[in-house]
Parts: sequence; C-alpha cells; structure tokens
Amino acid sequence: MIIPHFTLNDFLPVMPVGVLMAAAIVLMLSEVFLTSTTRTYQAIIAALASIVAGGIAVNNAFEPARLVLQGYAVLDPFSSWTTAMVCLGTFLAVLLSAGFLKHRNAERGEFYALMLFAAAGMSLLSLSAEFITLFINLEVLSVATYALTAFLRRGPRPSEAGFKYFILGAFAAALLLYGAALIYGATGATKLVEVSAALPAAFAKSPALVYAGLGLVLAGFAFKVAAVPFHMWTPDVYEGAPTPVTALMSAGVKAAAFVAMVRTFLFLVKGIDPVIPFTVFSLLALLTMVGGNLLALPQRNVKRMLAYSSIAHAGYMLLGVAALFAPKLVEAGAKVGVLTATPLTGTAQDVSVAVYKGLLFYILGYTVTSLGAFGTISALERREDETRGNTWDLERFAGLAQRKPGWAAAMALFMLSLGGVPPTVGFLGKLFLFSAAVDAGLLGLAIVGVLSSVIGVYFYLRVVVYMFMRPAPIDAPAPFRHWTTELALVTSAVLVVGLGILPGTITEWFSRVGMVFGH
Amino acid sequence: MIQTISTSHYLILAAALFCLGMLGVLIRRNALVVFMCIELMLNATNLTFLAFARERGDDLGHLSAFFIIAVAAAEAAVGLAIVISVFRARGTVNIEEIQSMKH
Repeated sequence: MIIPHFTLNDFLPVMPVGVLMAAAIVLMLSEVFLTSTTRTYQAIIAALASIVAGGIAVNNAFEPARLVLQGYAVLDPFSSWTTAMVCLGTFLAVLLSAGFLKHRNAERGEFYALMLFAAAGMSLLSLSAEFITLFINLEVLSVATYALTAFLRRGPRPSEAGFKYFILGAFAAALLLYGAALIYGATGATKLVEVSAALPAAFAKSPALVYAGLGLVLAGFAFKVAAVPFHMWTPDVYEGAPTPVTALMSAGVKAAAFVAMVRTFLFLVKGIDPVIPFTVFSLLALLTMVGGNLLALPQRNVKRMLAYSSIAHAGYMLLGVAALFAPKLVEAGAKVGVLTATPLTGTAQDVSVAVYKGLLFYILGYTVTSLGAFGTISALERREDETRGNTWDLERFAGLAQRKPGWAAAMALFMLSLGGVPPTVGFLGKLFLFSAAVDAGLLGLAIVGVLSSVIGVYFYLRVVVYMFMRPAPIDAPAPFRHWTTELALVTSAVLVVGLGILPGTITEWFSRVGMVFGH
Repeated sequence: MIQTISTSHYLILAAALFCLGMLGVLIRRNALVVFMCIELMLNATNLTFLAFARERGDDLGHLSAFFIIAVAAAEAAVGLAIVISVFRARGTVNIEEIQSMKH
C-alpha cells in the first residue's frame, strides 16, 4: 500500500475541527499557567471557538461534495451542516455549563476542553469515510464524553453513569471495529469508497463474512444512537451525567452518530438485496419510536423522561434513515403494511433530497429543543436534592409559572416542541420527516410514527400541567441565575419559535441536490 | 509445521476470543473483569485484522492494529480512572451493587 503523504492543503476542509482542537489545547494550557479563581472566561473562549468553527462549517456547506484527506474523509453539505449543528449544540452546552459548574463550585478548565474535544470528535465522525478513521473519531468523541459524564466526582451517580457509559460505549466500539475487520477481510479495503466497489464481488465469494461484518457494524452504531433494543444504557447515563453534558450527548453525539451511520451504510449496501437494509432499518425505527415513547410514559423523573424521549426522537430519525433505503422500485399495487413500502409518489432523486432535508432539519430542531429543555432542568436542580434522589421529580416543577413565569414559559415551549406542536421547530421537523417518509412509500411506518408521537404529547404536556396548574410547594427551589445560562435558554427559545415560524432559507439550504457524496 | 496454521485458524481463534470477551462483558460482575473482557474484544479484532493482512500480504491491516492499540490504551486510561472513582464513591466494584438509579 502507499503511505499517504498529507500536505497542509489537505487539512483546509477540516478547519472547523482545527479551530475546536486549538481552542481546547489553549484551554488546557491556560489551566496550567493561569491561576485565576473565576473561569467564566474559559466558557467564553469555548463558546467563541464553537461559533467560529460553526461559521466555517456553514461556509463549507456550500462547497461541492468531494473526497478530502486523500479519501479518508468526505466534505459534503451533509457533513458540514452536521458540524455546524454540533457547534451550535456545543455553544449552548458550554453556556449552560458555565452557570451550572459555578453553582456547584466545580468549574475546571478541562471541562470546557473536554467539551471541545468531544465536539471535534463529533464533527470528524460525520465526515469519516474510512473505517479506522471512523473508529478513532468515535473514540475521540466517546473518551471525552466518558470523562465529562463522570466529571462531578462528588456523589455516586456521576461515576456510576460514567462507568455504565464507558462499558457499553467501549463494547459498541469493539462490535463496530470487529465488523470493520471482517469487512476488511472480505474486501481488502477500509476506505468506504473502495469497500463499496469491492462489495459485490465479496458477496459472491463469502456472503457469511460480509453479512456478519455488516451486522456487527450496524449493532455498534445502534448502540451509539440508542436504538431499541440497544438502548438500555441511555436512561441511567443521561440521568447520572451532569445535565449540560446530557444535553450535549442527546443532541450532538446522537446527531454525529446518525450521520456517520447513514454515510457508512449508503456505501455498504452495494450488492446486497435492497429489501434487507430497508427491513432492518424499518424494524429498528418501529421498535425505537414505539419503545421510547412507551417507556417514557410512566416516568415521574423529568430528566429520565427526557432520556426516554431522546430514544423516541432517535426512532423518528431512524424512520428517515429507513426512507433512504426504501426500495426505489416497488411493484404497483403492493398492500400498505407497517413494514412494507408502497410505490413511490415522486422520483427517487426527489425523495432522497426530501429525506436529507427532513433529517437535517429534525436534527437542528432536536438540538435546540433538547438543549433548552435540559438547560431549564439544569437551572432548577439543587445539590442538596441529589442524596435524596428526587432532584428531577415532577413536583419540582409544580407552580413554576407563578414563581418564575419566564422559565415556565420557556420550558413549556421546549415541551411543546418535543411533542411536535405548532408553531415550534419540533412540529416542522416532524412534518418534513414524516412527509418525506410517506413520499418514499413508508406509509404504514409513518402512521405508527404519528400515533406514537401522540403518546409523547401526554408526558410532555404533563410537565406543562404541573408548571401551570399545580400550586408551588413551600420549599420550592428558586432557579439559580447566571447570565450565560439565561443567554443559552433565550437563544434556544428564540430558535425554537423562530425556526418553527420562519424556517426560511434554511430549508432551501438543506434541500440542495448533491447533499451527500456519491448519492 | 508453521505452514499448516492457516488464516482460518487465526480467524477462529479471534472469533472465539471475541465471543469470550462479549460473554464476559454480559455476565461477569466485577468491573475490572468486565474491563479486561473489553480489551479482549479489541485484541480479537486486532488478531482478525492481522490475520487478513497476512493472508493478503498488504500493510493496511498492520497499520490498523497499531491505531487500535493506541486508541485502546487511551480508552483504558479513562476507563480505569472511572473505575477508581466508582470505587471511591461506593467502596465496591461489583456491578450488581452499582445500581442507584430507579427504573
């Protein structure tokens, strides 16, 4: 093989990651050399770095899709938009953390550095086009999030959450890697483009090897995106992690893993019977949508409820993924069933453009909404409650509307957006995604999706009912105030409504042809 | 006698190691043993990469193994730190006792 020789120009397309990494290193070093007692400035540096990186990523999104870094990565609008959304999520999570950590007297420079490293891993994950690169980026992202999860060392929960996340994350990465090793054995390549070219021949020669490899890679990704039945770790990890970290995990980590999964499997289904990937993704979508919503139903712990809700939202995104793999030519007159495809109403090209738009808009909407929802929770929780274990009980939200109308209104807005009620971004996201799925012929599955999101409205509205219609308990906690937290919540709330009413040019940007390299 | 060991022997050994590791993660109760089982899975992957690389006579598999070893080391550092913090918080590394969150 030829050892690749990289020049500086090769690295220009991944500039956003460079900015994030550079800022992370500056933060680490500043922790060594500066002995200031307050560290809000570090949050500001991290937030600025994510804005700059996001800006560069948006700029990159208008460049044509192409292979970069000598075939190890792909620069296409799909990955650039993901990077931009990851940066937006990091920006909000960093602002939330500043107040959260200060309140707990746990501000340390490495926290922001770890967040930026995680963001860099997420951005790189979305553009990886080679198995080892994919694995390394997955680990860059994961190792940083393991450390962030266990960051608050006081109390048993964060370390327990960190431990569970570590074991299952490492397990998933090992599955993915073993799958990649088997695919390498069958095709002799690790670059996705080369694997894709060699797959049809490999299928003819050793189908068992390829199927085992594909199955393992899929299982690895399914763990990362928390698809049912690979979701067991999610509630405990989301509950135990510091709340701003949970917000980053639910938005950024999931988005990056989704995009990487879509990219990998678009290359890996060459030569395979198209019904197989379609059925597998449809089944995952079905289980995840229904399972996530049903499991969230009995939760009184709001943070845990949001963890299950994030599983349900992964299910809606999986519906979009299933639509991408819908068999492009279905015989006319097929019956409508939950897991069957009906004939396409548009051309295959139109459908995949609509699906990419739906997926990206859904990820954007979920990012701002979930950051806002977890952010509000993070401002309401008190350290004294942690030992009693009812920090996030619904009762904590009782009467919030009388005590803090602004906070209650924001939380209500985020809950409505998660439930998909207009005029919020959550409604538009669901609309785009479900209509794209219907266009792709997934009528049955889209109906299940809508019905299960109706279940979801129940437990989202329950929080709103508690906030507006229950009297406040006497010892009700007041949310702590910190300007960065308020800035983050106001930004999320404005984006939730703004994007819900005037999505404007963003939908045009998301629906340009040539979104994904090679497709 | 070395020539009689074919690629498939290596692959079967690697698959056996991987399954052992996977079973260990799922059924063992000691956090450190679970941790070692994950390392076992990664090493089984390395062996698979190397066996295929040897069969094909290309360097890609060897290169991959080096990267995997490096990443596994970084992961082990963070993982052990987390196990230590669990032990400090609870005085045990038994997984069944690490269940404070309600379902």
